[in-house]
Amino acid sequence: MRRILSSVRDGRGFDIVLVGVPFAFLFALAGLPLIYNILMSFQEVDMFSLGSVIRPFVGVDNYVALFRQPETWPILTNTLIFVVGSIAGQFVIGFGLALFFWTNFPGASWLRGLFLVSWVMPGLVVGAIWNWILSGDFGVLNFFLRESGLITANIFWRSDPSFSLWAVVIANIWLGTSFNMILLSVGLSAIPGDLYEAADMDGANAWQRFWTITLPMMRSTIGAIIALGLIFTLQQFDLFAAITDGGPNNSSNVAQYWAWDLSFRQYDFGRGATISVIMTVFVMFAAAVYVRSTRHEVRG
Amino acid sequence: MSETARNRLMLAIALIMAAIYLFPLYWMYVTSLKSGSEMFANPPSFWPSSAQWQTFAFVWESRNMGRYLWNSTVIAFGSVALIALLGTGCAYVLARYRNVWVDIGLFLILMLQVLPASLMITPIFVGFTQVGLLDYPRFAVILAIAAKSMPFFVVLVRATFMAVPMELEEAALVDGNSRVGAFYKIVLPLARNGILVSAILIFMQAFGEFVYSKSMIQDVSLQPASVGLNSFMGPNTSEWNNIMAYATMYVTPILAIFVLLQRRIVSGLTSGALK
Amino acid sequence: MGIRKYSIAIALALTCASLVGIQAKAEDVKLTLWSLDRDIQPAPNLIKEFNEQKNGIQIEYRQIQFDDVVSEAMRAFSTGKAPDIIAIDNPNHAMFASRDAFLDLTDMIEKSSVIKPENYFPGPLKSATWDEKYYGVPKATNTIALYYNKDLFKAAGLDPTKPPQTWDELVETARKLNDPSKNVYGITFSAKANEEGTFQFLPWAQMGGAGYKTINGEGAVRALTIWKQLFDEKLTSPDTLTRSQWDATATFNAGNAAMAISGPWEIDRMLTDAKFEWGTALLPVPQEGAQRSSAMGDYNWAIFSSTKHPEEAFKALEFFASKDATMYKDFGQLPARADLPVPPTGNAVKDAALATFLEQMKYAQPRGPSPEWPKISKAIQDAIQAALTGQMEPKAALDQAAEKIKSIEG
Repeated sequence: MRRILSSVRDGRGFDIVLVGVPFAFLFALAGLPLIYNILMSFQEVDMFSLGSVIRPFVGVDNYVALFRQPETWPILTNTLIFVVGSIAGQFVIGFGLALFFWTNFPGASWLRGLFLVSWVMPGLVVGAIWNWILSGDFGVLNFFLRESGLITANIFWRSDPSFSLWAVVIANIWLGTSFNMILLSVGLSAIPGDLYEAADMDGANAWQRFWTITLPMMRSTIGAIIALGLIFTLQQFDLFAAITDGGPNNSSNVAQYWAWDLSFRQYDFGRGATISVIMTVFVMFAAAVYVRSTRHEVRG
Repeated sequence: MSETARNRLMLAIALIMAAIYLFPLYWMYVTSLKSGSEMFANPPSFWPSSAQWQTFAFVWESRNMGRYLWNSTVIAFGSVALIALLGTGCAYVLARYRNVWVDIGLFLILMLQVLPASLMITPIFVGFTQVGLLDYPRFAVILAIAAKSMPFFVVLVRATFMAVPMELEEAALVDGNSRVGAFYKIVLPLARNGILVSAILIFMQAFGEFVYSKSMIQDVSLQPASVGLNSFMGPNTSEWNNIMAYATMYVTPILAIFVLLQRRIVSGLTSGALK
Repeated sequence: MGIRKYSIAIALALTCASLVGIQAKAEDVKLTLWSLDRDIQPAPNLIKEFNEQKNGIQIEYRQIQFDDVVSEAMRAFSTGKAPDIIAIDNPNHAMFASRDAFLDLTDMIEKSSVIKPENYFPGPLKSATWDEKYYGVPKATNTIALYYNKDLFKAAGLDPTKPPQTWDELVETARKLNDPSKNVYGITFSAKANEEGTFQFLPWAQMGGAGYKTINGEGAVRALTIWKQLFDEKLTSPDTLTRSQWDATATFNAGNAAMAISGPWEIDRMLTDAKFEWGTALLPVPQEGAQRSSAMGDYNWAIFSSTKHPEEAFKALEFFASKDATMYKDFGQLPARADLPVPPTGNAVKDAALATFLEQMKYAQPRGPSPEWPKISKAIQDAIQAALTGQMEPKAALDQAAEKIKSIEG
């Protein structure tokens, strides 16, 4: 007993306790629900069997049925476009802003804080406002584009199948940029200034400094941000509900919204769960990429 | 270009970008001051024709916002406390070692967070009912939020711990500190800012959490402000001014606090606490 | 505005009462009731009145949002936490009734002196019926009709007392009223990819002699072709594809659409927001003399079969039904009762609109009833959206929907 105690205080046991408790907690509150979902995808589920785990087993029927549906592939493609488009936009704009505010002119830190507004505003309100901004006839985005002469006829962001997905991507970039920016700012400020002084003496220009110092030093931050960005994008739900409802004709439908629609609008829980399993597989790849990226981290 | 001219130019650019980015916030404020359904006027009006300040007092009173905000605060503090308690140590260990187990740990932490809350709520609800946790609804929501946001915290804080030089901890151990002692005295203080930023981000998210609270907290007197907002936001609403006034009172204090805090935190890091 | 202020006062009183009211007598039977009604709508106010009778039954109220009613109810029912009474959207009623999640009220209704089946409109009653048995009581009802802007009619040289009667006239009128230079569309409605789209389209299909079981019938194809024509000629905003009925009608109120198809829930807002003269008309029919039809909306009361107090819960329903007579006056909703005259409000415009809706109500048909309604409805929405975005021909889209519906119904 004493050996265990001393190990907890001063040895391997310390690490095991620190990691073990949170993982047990996560397993109970996130792992089990995930398993419940995976289980459902192999079962026939209706509203009356939601509360139990024992349900008729149907093998891969749900999967077969799902991939027979004509909308499945387009929706999965949309999901990919949505995820890649959102993350790329959020990251590039967020990084640009972080670098910009990093130059530290007077007022920079105040303004940087204000950008966090998208993180604080309730999803319901954000959705309602973007719904209005992107509206076709009287939306303010069209108003500005028209006034500035960029377009002559209104773009029906929400209702034109070739724009609807991008409408949600725009709103989602707005939503995620702040979180990218603030974390990248923290990462940037952790880079020791003497590295840049040394590079200056070597005569490196701004571009070279960025590629040889900034990016490599930020690797762990960037890996973390992109991994988290992926999770946030895949969990994005409010914007779809508020702006397009996945329409028109599924042109802006994505896996997570569809899974909800199948489960809670058509009450087809088996198929809804099947989509969530597909999403899980997708994230598995991304998680593996993140873990690999940590291999190259520089320990301070 | 002189220093001041450059600074002024940068400030001007920053203000323009902020103006564009903050437009939705501006719109929330303006709409709260408008009357009726002026929100859908065409062409859009960018300034309220006559500011309706009394809306705020009316909404605060009639929606009982004090109680809602109190519940939001309780839930947010509870979640942050639980996450920081469990997550900090976890992140520290995951940053300290470099082996296959750490890889698996990181992998699992991300994996567990795939599904949006709207899909996780059913199994969590079923599970909580069976253990009887729903009799303590706010605590149940805190647990659910903690599970949802912990990976976010761990991944971020781990990145912070990565920036703490290993030699400092080793030196402390050589000086005769136990592992626990070195962790509390050396490592934790050095990672303070990163932990604070992450905790604040989590706090703000938990403050606005909606899906879990909506389903698990059925007693109105325990519901947080997000549920209160939703309860008068149905599909057929024309009270946009009231809704936005509510949202303004909900968001502004926390935004202001953050603007003040982040300045100290982010610049605290630059000032060389680590050197 | 008087009603609203009054009801806000009630709501305030309600919250106070709920704080104090916890000290209800120990022997009181406690019931829980879920509905989506807000503070100015019937449920919370009727409950308050009911509780004030102090007849040994106390009801606790929980408000749920439109999108969540069914999923919350299912989750609760499958974990044994269902409320005693719920207000459920009428097309979802059969899903619960067919699986005996709701209590069969037939015997109790037979003995009741307050709730009598013959007093109700047949459409709403049918939606609460499954297998010839009553599993609920209609709470209120509504339907859709045509609103039109009389000022714009005059400006376009049309007779404001002669709204369009047939589909062709409707398109022709929309063409004349359409004026892009003034930001005016001919007509607005909702073809949204949710229940609202089905709600708006199904009456057209039914007027054309089709139904949800024959959704690719000739009349339905023609209806969808007309809708497509409205989109192709830009007689309606492209956003009609993603706008709800409420938001669509808001553009009518703002003068940006000359006609609108929507329900009686719009009347009060229109009276305050619309700065022009407006009128209402029955939904246009395919050709003169064709059969009429209309949508039927709103909620039913039902008692969950898991309740421990069926008698008391039914007493509550009887109390609610006894208040049907003043429902329009107090809350602006139409009772689903054929035996109750809706008293005039004294506002000529409002009364005229009401008359139209009561007339239209006679032709209202329920959606389903089918336990698989949500899936059937989804198939119809998919067809509407595929055709209107030009990705499929109306005929092909509806054929596909018919195929899906056949396989759903088994």
